[in-house]
Amino acid sequence: MIYGDHTTGVIVQGATGNQGAFHINLMNQYAQETGGRGVVAGVTPGKGGQKVHGVPVYDSVREAMAEHDATTSVLFVPGFAAGDSIMEAASAGLELVVAITEGIPVHDTMRALAFARMEGCTVIGPNCPGILSPGELKLGIMPPQLAMPGHVGIISRSGTLTYEVINELTRAGIGQSTVVGIGGDPVIGQTFTEVLERFEADPQTKAVVLIGEVGGNLEEEGATSTSLPLVTYIAGISAPPEKRMGHAGAIIEGGEGDAVSKIARLRQLGFPVAGKPSDIPGLVRELL
Amino acid sequence: MKLLEFEAKEIFKEYGIPVPNGVVIRNPDELRRQLNGFTDEVVVKSQVDVGGRGKAGGIIITDKAEAVSTAEHLFSFPIKGLIPKAVLVEEKLPIDHEYYVSITIDRSTRQPMILFAETGGVDIEETARTRPEALRRAGFSPLLTGVPGFLMRQILGSAPKELGPVINNLYKAFCASDALLAEINPLVTTSRGVFAADAKLIVDDNALARQGITANRDLTPREREAEENGFSYVELDGSIGVIGNGAGLTMSTLDLIAHYNGKAANFLDVGGGAGRERVMKAVRLVAGMPDVKVIVVNLLGGITRCDEVAKGIIEAGIDQHVITRLAGTNEEEGKALLAKNGYQMLDTMEDVVRQAVQEAAA
Repeated sequence: MIYGDHTTGVIVQGATGNQGAFHINLMNQYAQETGGRGVVAGVTPGKGGQKVHGVPVYDSVREAMAEHDATTSVLFVPGFAAGDSIMEAASAGLELVVAITEGIPVHDTMRALAFARMEGCTVIGPNCPGILSPGELKLGIMPPQLAMPGHVGIISRSGTLTYEVINELTRAGIGQSTVVGIGGDPVIGQTFTEVLERFEADPQTKAVVLIGEVGGNLEEEGATSTSLPLVTYIAGISAPPEKRMGHAGAIIEGGEGDAVSKIARLRQLGFPVAGKPSDIPGLVRELL
Repeated sequence: MKLLEFEAKEIFKEYGIPVPNGVVIRNPDELRRQLNGFTDEVVVKSQVDVGGRGKAGGIIITDKAEAVSTAEHLFSFPIKGLIPKAVLVEEKLPIDHEYYVSITIDRSTRQPMILFAETGGVDIEETARTRPEALRRAGFSPLLTGVPGFLMRQILGSAPKELGPVINNLYKAFCASDALLAEINPLVTTSRGVFAADAKLIVDDNALARQGITANRDLTPREREAEENGFSYVELDGSIGVIGNGAGLTMSTLDLIAHYNGKAANFLDVGGGAGRERVMKAVRLVAGMPDVKVIVVNLLGGITRCDEVAKGIIEAGIDQHVITRLAGTNEEEGKALLAKNGYQMLDTMEDVVRQAVQEAAA
């Protein structure tokens, strides 16, 4: 529970779009199962007054916050407008924005993150599946049925690969404290380093699985920043240079950020690196 | 998407960065008509999207009389397999000194970062490796509209102050064109002032629409078809076709193939919530690659429904063997459909990958 718990009040920005409406429903189903508050309001400019799955929609985040007690926003706004929406949420006083949106121009992300930081607002994503604290809170699109509560934290740049790892852990009887999808873009709000800081302060988390991929060097930076026991996995050994592997951030540039050298570096630093997802539970068990 | 040198220079010019006088030609005849603009020596440059052009023979200094035949040569001279559609002919500058400057986005600090070196030119990578201290770096808040003076002084060191305004204009061009990289190498000083002798701009694919760019030219025809269907797709050179949902899971499937000593033919991420028709198109696209012997479909249903996936695979009706792993939403319905139609399914991604590697090797 490093980014909130069942008492967290959630606003969804982009509430009336397909994705927004669909996931308001799923998040609130989960809130019902876990006794949480879930999504208390939606925001879509120009659509104030409507309801989505019983949740009232407002024209702006400020208006929604005047009527409801919320600290967190989950963002489904389309790419071209998402940077602006992050700034709106930060400016209105929300503490946390989870930006699910894919395809935000990176200059927009960069400016929105700088602005949010000035306003004291934490951003997860963009281009991420969100956060899941099994049994407590679901912010975003992760399928909670694969997960089970426990003591292993997961941080990942990718969505479905994370579900694969959750699935492997749960099948092996290893529960999760919180799963954080930090996003597949080159510029993201919370990096491995910052999420690990929160895990370190979380009494529930005893070990962390760090799932990285080609591009940049945020994995190495994160791994060396924490004293928590870590298991790592890096996707993209077979990724050719200068090609984007689905994620805007998953690209080997100028000979930097390839999986083989990331893995070598992590091993050199003494971290266990899983060769494939199914090796992860065994490695985690050795640490616990 | 990477712009060609002459396209980048057009943008640089708009933002007040001086570039050499020059003409862009699509065939040698166009040059005959425009030669009058030149006085003496010229630089003839192949406009192919390839690094290390100069060393590969794509940049030739010659005199005015030889310009047309040099251009003729470059139009039929492949560089790393690519023939140029355009050639840039520029006046030769009286260069005093070459510098290097680029602006990128630093992932760790989430800020624009300027890199500057007092020795530019062809061997900048070598300089970066052997004398990293020769590359000066400075990052600053993306909320600023220009490079702060104190940082500019720090970047320039003892280099001429005249470079400052050019670097500041480069930052403006970098922001305005949604660039991931804006680079001038070499940035040259001459008796006539400062010039961008070369130009490189990589535009963020997520911003192509608002930059007014309609087609991403970095793609192969099959990659373009994939893009039109909304797939992330990369071609590789093996014989096992790979379809997955989610970039990470698909990449991980590729890695598992390599782990078992197989070779993947491609990476295709159908994206979230793919229905029957999208899956069918994906399977047909991959089956259409000449070397593909067997196809692996690895799907974890969340928003994606496994029964839709199964229908798509069946409707694709391709010749190659499709081995599927389905898990998640509507898994049972999907498996029943595939079983009824005689398709092979296995329970884990390891099983499907091992099976595919075996078949591809047979």
